[in-house]
Order: sequence, then C-alpha cells, then structure tokens
Amino acid sequence: MSIVVVKDLKKTFVKGFWRKRHVALRGASFVVEPGEIFGFLGPNGAGKTTTLKILMGLIKPDGGEALMFGKPCGDPATRRRVGYLPESPYFYDHLTANELLDMMGALYGIDAATRRSRARRLLEQVGIAHAASRPLRSYSKGMLQRAGLAQALIAEPELVVLDEPMSGLDPIGRREVRDMIAGLRAAGTTVLVCTHVLADAVTLCDRVGIVVEGVVRDQGLLSELLSPQVLRVDVLLRTSEAASAAIQGKFSDAEFQVTAEGTLVSLSAHERLNEFLSVCIQEGAGVLQVTPHKETLESLFIRQAKEGMAS
Amino acid sequence: MRISAIAKNTFREASRNRVFAVLVLFCVGMMAFSIVLGRLSVHEEVRVMMDLGLAGMDLVGVVIALFLGVNLLSKELEKKTVYAVLPKPLPRSQFVLGKFLGLGGVMMALIVAMSIVLNLFVLFVGGDVSEVLLRAEFLVMFEMLLVVAIAMFFASFSSPYLSAMFTAGVWLIGRGSGELEALAAGKLAESWVRFLVEGIVAVVPDFSLFFVSGAVVESVRVSVHETFVPWVFVLSMFGYTLLYSFAALAFASALFQRRDLT
Repeated sequence: MSIVVVKDLKKTFVKGFWRKRHVALRGASFVVEPGEIFGFLGPNGAGKTTTLKILMGLIKPDGGEALMFGKPCGDPATRRRVGYLPESPYFYDHLTANELLDMMGALYGIDAATRRSRARRLLEQVGIAHAASRPLRSYSKGMLQRAGLAQALIAEPELVVLDEPMSGLDPIGRREVRDMIAGLRAAGTTVLVCTHVLADAVTLCDRVGIVVEGVVRDQGLLSELLSPQVLRVDVLLRTSEAASAAIQGKFSDAEFQVTAEGTLVSLSAHERLNEFLSVCIQEGAGVLQVTPHKETLESLFIRQAKEGMAS
Repeated sequence: MRISAIAKNTFREASRNRVFAVLVLFCVGMMAFSIVLGRLSVHEEVRVMMDLGLAGMDLVGVVIALFLGVNLLSKELEKKTVYAVLPKPLPRSQFVLGKFLGLGGVMMALIVAMSIVLNLFVLFVGGDVSEVLLRAEFLVMFEMLLVVAIAMFFASFSSPYLSAMFTAGVWLIGRGSGELEALAAGKLAESWVRFLVEGIVAVVPDFSLFFVSGAVVESVRVSVHETFVPWVFVLSMFGYTLLYSFAALAFASALFQRRDLT
C-alpha cells in the first residue's frame, strides 16, 4: 500500500475584498511508496507547500483526494504516524529546545520519561544539545531548522514530511541533515521532502515528482525521468593558434572558447567525437579532458517549468 | 495530555508577556493611589480603597483579558507557530480549549495576585478583610474568563483589531444591559428598534451581574460595604460563565475548524 496518495488535488484561494482568485493546485497527483525518499520539486509558487499543508490538514482541498496510510489526511490517528517540518519553521520563542520537544511529544501523547530521553537523543543528533536550555529566540535560522527537525522526529514517525529542510543551513549542516534523512530511510522511514535545491534532490531522493503551476508534470525514478542520451561533449585541448584554426575549419558547428586551462570545444554532434579526436591528434593538439553532458535534473526541471508555464 | 500541553504553553507565554506585567503594575499603582484619595475623604479610607481597588481590578482585568484573548489565535497564525502544532494529532477544538484554559489560568492567577494586594492595602488602611470582598473578587474572575471566551470567539474569524472592537462592544452592551432594557421599554417602546435592542440584550451576556457593588440586584441594593450578594449568587454566576463560555468556545472551534491556515 502506498504511504501517500494524492489524486487530482485542487485548491483555489480567494483573497481580499475583491475576492481575487488564485489557483494553487489544478489537479495534482502523485504517490509515495513505503521506505522511499520522495522529492517533491517545483519552482516557487508551483503548489508544493499548499500540497503539504493539505496533507497536514492545515488547508482543505476544493477537490480530489489526499490519503496517508490509506486514510484521509485530517484523521488524528493518521497524524500520530507522521512528523512534519514546516517551511522556515517558527516556534514559540519563549520556549527552550527541551521545552519545545517536551510540548510536541505531549501533543503526540508520549509519556514524560520517553519524551525526555528522546529529546536528549534528538538534540544530540541534530547538533544543538549544547543550546538545549536556551530560549529559541536566541537561536540562529540554522539552529531553528535543526530544532524543527528534532520536533518532527519526536514521535519516531513512519512518515516524515519535510518542507525545505536544508533552508538556512550552512554546508556542514546540509551535509548532516542529508545524512540524517538518509539514516531515516535506512531505518525504514518514508520521507516526503519538498525542495527546490536540485543538488539535494539528486543526492537524496529515490523518486521525484515535479510540480509546475499546480500540476505534477512528471514523477518517477530519477534514472527514468532523465534522458540517457548524451546532449553534448566538452573537450579541453592544449593547442597552438594555428592548430586550433585548422580544427575549427573542419568542425565549424563546434563552439570554441579559450579559457585559462586551454581551448574548450563544445561538440553538439557528439557522434563525431572519434573523428574530432583523430583530427586533434593529427594537428598536434593535446587532449586534456573529455566530458560528456547528459540531461540533468536541473535541465529537466527547467524544461518542465517552461513547458508548464507555456501551457 | 494534549489540552494540558497547549494550556501550559499558553500560560507560560502569556505570563511572560511584558504588557501584562505593565498593566498589573498599573493596577497596583491605582490601588496605592487610592490610599491618597482615601486620606482626602473623611474617615472613608477603607471604602475608597475597596471601591477603587475592585474597580481597578475589574478594568485592568478586562483590558488584559481582551488584549490577550484577541491575540491568542491571531498571534499563532501571524507567527506561524500553529503550522508546527496543528499537524500533530490534535483536533482544533482541543487546541482552542487548551488555549482558553491556559489564558483562563493566567487570568485566575492575575485576579488572585491582585486580590492579595488589594486585601493587604485594605488591612493597611485599617479595614477588615472579609469574605464579602472575596465574593466580589470571584465575580471579577468569572467576568475575565467570559471576556476571554468572547474575545476568542471573535478572533476565530476576524482580525485582532476587529475582534477587540467587537469584544469591547459586547462588554459595554453587557454592562449597560439594564439601561438598554429600560430604554427599549421606555423611549423606544413604540419603535421597531425596541425589538432589535431587546434581541441584542437577550443574546449578549449581562456583564453588569459581575460587578454588582452599588447596584440593585433582585430589588435589593448591594454593596461590598453593607449587604452583598450571597455565595449562591456567586455560584450561579459561575454556572452562567461556564454556559456562555462553552457556547462561545463551541462557535470559536467550529469557525476555526473551517479556517484554511495558509
């Protein structure tokens, strides 16, 4: 059974005196399978946070279905099995991290002794144990993010929903959080992570869904979504001006660029690579590096975003 | 456990509010000033102290209840703290109830503290601390709880400013319900406005019943200095507070339940 099923989800916000309508979701659909890390990707305003808020029962959808563990997402029994980190989390700033985790644990109905031991372990794990007794108002953004992660995990949930978990973190913090998320998967926890940092998605996610303009345009394994086809090959040469001119004469469709490291040649007709390399050797040029370029998540993302906006 | 977790947090947050501390100090200052006013009167120091002290407690209590009550839900939304709390297995009705109980606890602690200060001042000016004063202080406490519940009702669907205006309006109408009834039966007797006024007075809680010193209750003039309302009356007002608060919170929960937390 899928852990999360979102089917044809629709939501329109009506705001202001003039009842201005804004369509946030136009029929989004995706599923999250047990034990996987699912990356929910999309440009700003695509409907990612709205979808997560519907799943967390903060917003009611106008149409469609949002199920977690086979039950409607507003069901309190279902929410016992879910941990949630909101985007740029805000907590009661008069509380300390210890008090925050104690309160959140109590909301899950966890007994006091378990709350204390879990809080100690989680604060250690997210790296803010040293500041556990300090009020949250004295925390930096990164520290708040870590406190947010700890509260999302206090009930040892089966599903963790993270909205931009890397936001505000320094490179070391990002690495630590990435490792933590990977650790959750290793422990059998399902993770739904919403991000626009594609490098994180590539490193972490088993499957991704790309949402644009309120519609999930593509979802699946990264290897399935990205075309295996080589789009172009970059060749870095050490060559004289004369040799460079001779090569350029034979490959007029290639792009030549002089850099500090040498002459960088971009071959879009990569099937002519062997022929190109033979000519280079004949002309006495040294081949320093050959780099094939396939479709990246970034290029797929941009393509989907452009197509989505155009349609 | 869930309701108490919300209540405990609300209590902690409200009691650490600086505005709250300033208003309490203002009330204590007002009581201290009544010592000076008492000296200006002829052998009426105790009377002035009790009257001004109770009035100060009531006024400051209403202002604090209104200020904290209208901000209770809107602050959660404005500061976005609600996004981390409501996804937990916590029905919104329990959230609203926990908030009310937490703030109710703050108001009770406030009235107890101010009552102790008032009683000490009364002793200082040579009066006796009797249970009559206690009855009056209980009534003020119930009034505060009801103001909090009504403020939360309005805050469940409107902005803090509007909620404060609506709550203050309800409190003023409730305080003047006797006068409004008299107006409806007298000058407005022939007009359709009479039905409107009577309807409003019937729905709005009668806040004049919580501050009865110097008023006529069941054809008897009552005062904290002479004959005051009995404990049965205080108990009946507790029931009155519970009923109205329950209704206000039920409506607040229903409205908050429907609200999209964007």
